[in-house]
Amino acid sequence: MVYVAGIDIGSAFSKAVIMAENEIIAYEVMPSGGNYKLTAEQVIEEALTKAGLSLKDIAYTVATGYGAASASFSSETASDISCLARGVYYLFPAARTAIDIGGQFTRVLKLNNRGRATAFLLSEKCAAGSGRFLQVIARVLQIDLEDIGELSLKSKNRVSFNTGCAVFAESEAVSRIAEGAAKEDILAGLHRTLAAKIQTMVARLGIEPDCAVVGGGAKDIGLVKSIEEGLGCRLLLPEEPRIVAALGAALVAWEKVSKGG
Amino acid sequence: MPEEAGSRGLAAADRYYEDYGSRVRELKKQGKQIIGYLCALTPVEIIAAAGLVPFRIKGDVNEPITKADTEMETIVCPLVRSWFDMSLKGKYEFLDGIVIPHACDSISTTYNVWKNTLNLPYSHLINMPHSTDGPSLKFYKALLNTFRTSLSKFTGKEISDQSLNQAISLYNQNRAKVRELYELRKASPPLISGAEVAKLLIASVSMPVEEATLLIDSVIKEVKQRGGVLAAKPARIMVVGAEVDDVTFIDLIEDSGAWVVADDLCPGAREFFDDADVTADPIEGIAERYLRKIKCGRTFREKKGDYDDYLEERFGHIGRFIKDFKVDGVVLYIYKYCDPYGFDVPAMKSYIESVGAPVLYLEDEYSMSTIGRLRTRIQAFLEVLGSK
Repeated sequence: MVYVAGIDIGSAFSKAVIMAENEIIAYEVMPSGGNYKLTAEQVIEEALTKAGLSLKDIAYTVATGYGAASASFSSETASDISCLARGVYYLFPAARTAIDIGGQFTRVLKLNNRGRATAFLLSEKCAAGSGRFLQVIARVLQIDLEDIGELSLKSKNRVSFNTGCAVFAESEAVSRIAEGAAKEDILAGLHRTLAAKIQTMVARLGIEPDCAVVGGGAKDIGLVKSIEEGLGCRLLLPEEPRIVAALGAALVAWEKVSKGG
Repeated sequence: MPEEAGSRGLAAADRYYEDYGSRVRELKKQGKQIIGYLCALTPVEIIAAAGLVPFRIKGDVNEPITKADTEMETIVCPLVRSWFDMSLKGKYEFLDGIVIPHACDSISTTYNVWKNTLNLPYSHLINMPHSTDGPSLKFYKALLNTFRTSLSKFTGKEISDQSLNQAISLYNQNRAKVRELYELRKASPPLISGAEVAKLLIASVSMPVEEATLLIDSVIKEVKQRGGVLAAKPARIMVVGAEVDDVTFIDLIEDSGAWVVADDLCPGAREFFDDADVTADPIEGIAERYLRKIKCGRTFREKKGDYDDYLEERFGHIGRFIKDFKVDGVVLYIYKYCDPYGFDVPAMKSYIESVGAPVLYLEDEYSMSTIGRLRTRIQAFLEVLGSK
């Protein structure tokens, strides 16, 4: 059996996926922290332990993401876009559009019927279009990031926000708390703001069904529902949306090994 | 240009690029007066005709902008702030004057900051109009005549029609050489890299035009002699943007597995592809060139007809470059707060895509710190091109 690995060192979370040929056998997700090199080693080690393997069993490792270069044990690096495209195609072969809501950027990709990206857009260096926005708001409302989604779905009276900027949204949220708005209504309003940004990106690229949503932001069911509402279509959602780029990196590794050897 | 060995060819271009301003520093010692200017829209012919040496102010992506921020808010585009920062830090201590055209708002509205902070013996703003119609051209000609008078007051010598015509012809010879240089980029792989062209053209606006022409000519000869030494790469890229006066971004694309074979940039094709006609009143030919021929986003071109006619008028030259230089993909490289090019992005993107070239739009801050972020996008774009 040939084993390959994919590792994605993101700005917020690091992920590793171990595959036995083209089957996923283990994965790990952990916060990236302040030392990417150390995190890269830890995340692959954890994933390998789950798989009952060690680094020397891995034929090829591909790294991607913000800190790809920190995974010094990897055989090569690949761009986030090509890894995402492969990961999404593996999970949802019918997907022609993919939205990745990461910590640093939101990415929108168009895919062809061979699972290759044919066009893509990234949000600019601005927290308002990315998962970072949710972290900021969770801190202001003093709730766990994981609880945001479910809580926001309880909203009966969505607050509307005037700003698209994360910094201003933070202060706007603070004012709404002072006015006595419910947390769920604030969250629902912020989800709408973020979803609207993402919708604009999708519209610029042109949506083609099926559309998948991946990345850490896709863990937030409230946000996913808000994007679905805006786009007027259902989104394909993987069981673990955070590992899709790492999965794609492992698939790049598997392509290398299977074609090269 | 000094005649000693090594003062010509690619090595010399490299040296003038790296030690930007070294040639005018020498000329200054010989008693020449140096006039700094911003942007390709300064009518350099008039400065040269006055017996002065025009010198293009350049920024530096490796130098964090610090001093400029005390005088200019960050809403001023980062390129203008870097130019100003370099000037404040004494990089261009040899200047006798500064000329600023009303190219864009970041440039023209900071004129008083430049004038009063640098406090040079000569400062002048050419408040050129933004439209290409008859009255605008007439107004612009009047402004150019005012500029001509103002410069002759500064030097104490009249600028004759003859000296203007001579300057026009020297600049036209220079532009013809640049066009000859671009022919070397049409081969596949190109005979000269995008980085080599960028460094040469950036260096060329830091010295008197006759010397620049000789330098470009020497590079053409060297490149022809060395023949096809560049390796084959899978993609041929065109870069479109405002002014790119640093080679870092071009290097980034070429290090990612592509050649940059064409551009719509300054210094670059936009600046050098159109001549000033020699006219009975030399100011006429100069005005036509800067207001009507140079296709910069800062100039509004009204075109009768439908939207497609407008797009063709505004961006048709980009389409022709894509065809003539066999371009596989176009990178729009736009600085944050660049109003003329930022405004143009959606129209430019749809036009370029309509002629069949994929587009990567990158917004940047004119700083090395963003290079990592740009690299992953360029790599992804090249992969997308490869999978077509």
